[in-house]
Amino acid sequence: MDVEREIIVPEAPDEVWEALIEPARLEEWFATEVELDARPGGEGVFRWGDGDERHAVVRELEETERLVLDWDDGGSVAIELEPVVEGTLVRVVESSPEFAPALELRGLALEAPAAKPPTPGEKTAPPEAALAWTALAAA
Amino acid sequence: MDGARGGVDRVFAALGDGGRRSLIEAVATRGTATATELAAELPVTRQAVAKQLTSLADAGLLRATRAGRETRYEVTPAPLEQAVEWMVSVGAAWDERLAALRDSLARKA
Repeated sequence: MDVEREIIVPEAPDEVWEALIEPARLEEWFATEVELDARPGGEGVFRWGDGDERHAVVRELEETERLVLDWDDGGSVAIELEPVVEGTLVRVVESSPEFAPALELRGLALEAPAAKPPTPGEKTAPPEAALAWTALAAA
Repeated sequence: MDGARGGVDRVFAALGDGGRRSLIEAVATRGTATATELAAELPVTRQAVAKQLTSLADAGLLRATRAGRETRYEVTPAPLEQAVEWMVSVGAAWDERLAALRDSLARKA
């Protein structure tokens, strides 16, 4: 489960690309203060006006096509540029390892029976939960 | 804009652990559960279960009620809703950024 967004801009991919990798250009749309070493393995620091600060490492960089940053909290963001008739399609995919379990557990919580008395011998945990339990017991 | 995340950090920390996640699932499946009931069917000690249940209740993911000598737990959806709201706010932040990108490019042209 990822957060995906797209926009089409009239400029060509090479023009858009500069706005993705040059810190001064990134400060016009992405964050208030940007430091970015735009090469694979290069580091980036992004600060916002509300005091938020995120650190990233460039995982992938294909000029005028694709930029992938790994956030230090385990998430990542991929920005892809695709030439289209109208200009450039900009696609953003932000992923976090926490998105999927959050949604899944929310579903479980909403479906949970209000107050069901336990039935003896009733199976309560799916097999994958039992596996995770083993890991918990070892910890 | 990304500051919206701050309020749900504890929820994510609790969800990040496979064991605790399974525990929430086990409680959610039953509706309510005590440490003794959960430990009876799982390969862990009652003490280990009780400790994890307490930390999940502290994070606001489970609600604890005393039932005689035991504590009974049930899942509270609210913090998980916050986690989902955080996802929505991530999407909204990108909508704003992409609009700002479009305006920034238009100014250069």
